[in-house]
Amino acid sequence: MALRNLTVAGPPPLAAVADHSTRREVSSARGAPVVRIEGLVKRLRRGVIAVDGVDLEIRKGEVWGLAGPNGSGKTLTLKMLLGLVRPTAGKVFLFGEPVRPGARVLGRVGALVDGPGFVPHLSGLDNLRLAWRLTRRPADEAGLEPALDYAALGEALHRPYSTYSHGMRYRLGFAQALLGRPELLILDEPVTGLDPLHVRQLRAALAELVARGTTVLMSSHVLGDVQETCTHVAVMQQGRVVASGRVPDLVARFGAGSSLEEAYVELVAGSGAAAGDPGRSAK
Amino acid sequence: MIRVELAKQLTRPRTYLTFLALTAFALALAVALSATGPGRVERVGDIPLLLVPRTSMFTLPLVALSSTMKFFLPLAVSVFAGEALAGEAAWGSLRYALARGASRSRFLGSKAAVAALFSIAAVVLVPVTAAAAGLVAYGWHALPVADGSASTPLRLALVSFDPGQALGRLGLATAYVAAGMSSIFAFAFFLSAVSSRPLVAVAGGVGLTILSRVLNVDYLPGVAVLNGYMPNNDVDLWQHLFQQPVESAGMLHFLVLQAVYSATFLALAWWWFLRKDVLE
Repeated sequence: MALRNLTVAGPPPLAAVADHSTRREVSSARGAPVVRIEGLVKRLRRGVIAVDGVDLEIRKGEVWGLAGPNGSGKTLTLKMLLGLVRPTAGKVFLFGEPVRPGARVLGRVGALVDGPGFVPHLSGLDNLRLAWRLTRRPADEAGLEPALDYAALGEALHRPYSTYSHGMRYRLGFAQALLGRPELLILDEPVTGLDPLHVRQLRAALAELVARGTTVLMSSHVLGDVQETCTHVAVMQQGRVVASGRVPDLVARFGAGSSLEEAYVELVAGSGAAAGDPGRSAK
Repeated sequence: MIRVELAKQLTRPRTYLTFLALTAFALALAVALSATGPGRVERVGDIPLLLVPRTSMFTLPLVALSSTMKFFLPLAVSVFAGEALAGEAAWGSLRYALARGASRSRFLGSKAAVAALFSIAAVVLVPVTAAAAGLVAYGWHALPVADGSASTPLRLALVSFDPGQALGRLGLATAYVAAGMSSIFAFAFFLSAVSSRPLVAVAGGVGLTILSRVLNVDYLPGVAVLNGYMPNNDVDLWQHLFQQPVESAGMLHFLVLQAVYSATFLALAWWWFLRKDVLE
């Protein structure tokens, strides 16, 4: 309830109060947004509305964090971005092109969503090779070597995927997302299950990719990570974006100027939904 | 995409185990029949065909086809078709295959093509293994077949097929059984497109086979009106190929029925998969 009050009667989301003239200037300077989401709605079976009117715009080189409690619609939003789930209403554009299942523009995107998923009896390396062959693009465009460097799996690459630990599976999933040197990376809880060393390596890898111009959209429960890694953040609650904007602005406005975690608690806690709405089973 | 799918499925333990089990069954059957005394008559099918195993290599594949067509082969076909898409969903790799912009129609087509190829291979493997065992055990001889429906205690309606004829008719019989599996294949494949649980799709294919056998006029005379429309009931009509003259009317009806079932369920699978939300 408190959250609804925030969006309706409370302070408006930062994106809504942003200086639009300034944004337009930036927009024209940088070209079409990498991601544009307009009024995205997903109604699941039995009428449950899992995503409820999400609007978001992400520009080249920005690193966006998507935060929110379980069941707030983060993963489902990411899946609609990838053409895996059909929106009930609203539109999604990547690089100015509308997204639909099988859209060619998806070839410019790398993703790790809802955990890694590979053929269990094949080795990590074979899985990556087959995943790339499915794109029907030339082998020399895959960028396999740098992707493998980021995964840092060593000799384990030649072992069946079914023998991998949780962290190794995530690293292979990250490597798969990097195949083809994507211009947009969509990562869903990328640090889940990684040990501190590999979390640090992942952050460094992301920083390097961003420095080369890659745009990133990542969901995460680890708000310290979001604060450290992301330039922008959108907080989702009950299928809606209740606040979005630059991380320092959000922290200053809702987090008493100290941390994103405090801002998040201010935005989300007390609404009752953080404990999970029984009707909202979708991630 | 077909080559990628072949690479996935050819290296899969389930594929080897299925083929191994069918081969082992055909060989075990050959050994069991060889172990019986000379002159023993085998009754094959509902006609029945009366065969003396030791007279020709071709008796073994006929018995093997007859023994596997109503359960083991539908099970193998259900495994290949039922796991095609649902298995990929269960691994979590389906979303990554599609998230890179692969055409869903092409992806579905490659899955269906490879699963169909393996299903046909499973059907062919049984008579080929049994025939190879028969060739070693009994040699290349003419196949004498007695028509049980036309024989009386005083007269045996015996027909003899020279080895070339027998081989040709065995090939037709195998093709007929393979075609007879297509409705089960299509139904399991449709369930595989709908569900993310391979077991559901495999069980669905086997369940349709069992339903077809239960709603059989031989067991339930009251369902006679359904008999000609059940997907698996008339898969044994290939035995008419070893009668003289061949009664082909029932076989043609069954093949048309298979085409209708297959087209319907494959079209449903395609329609569903193109609109499917990949939530898993």
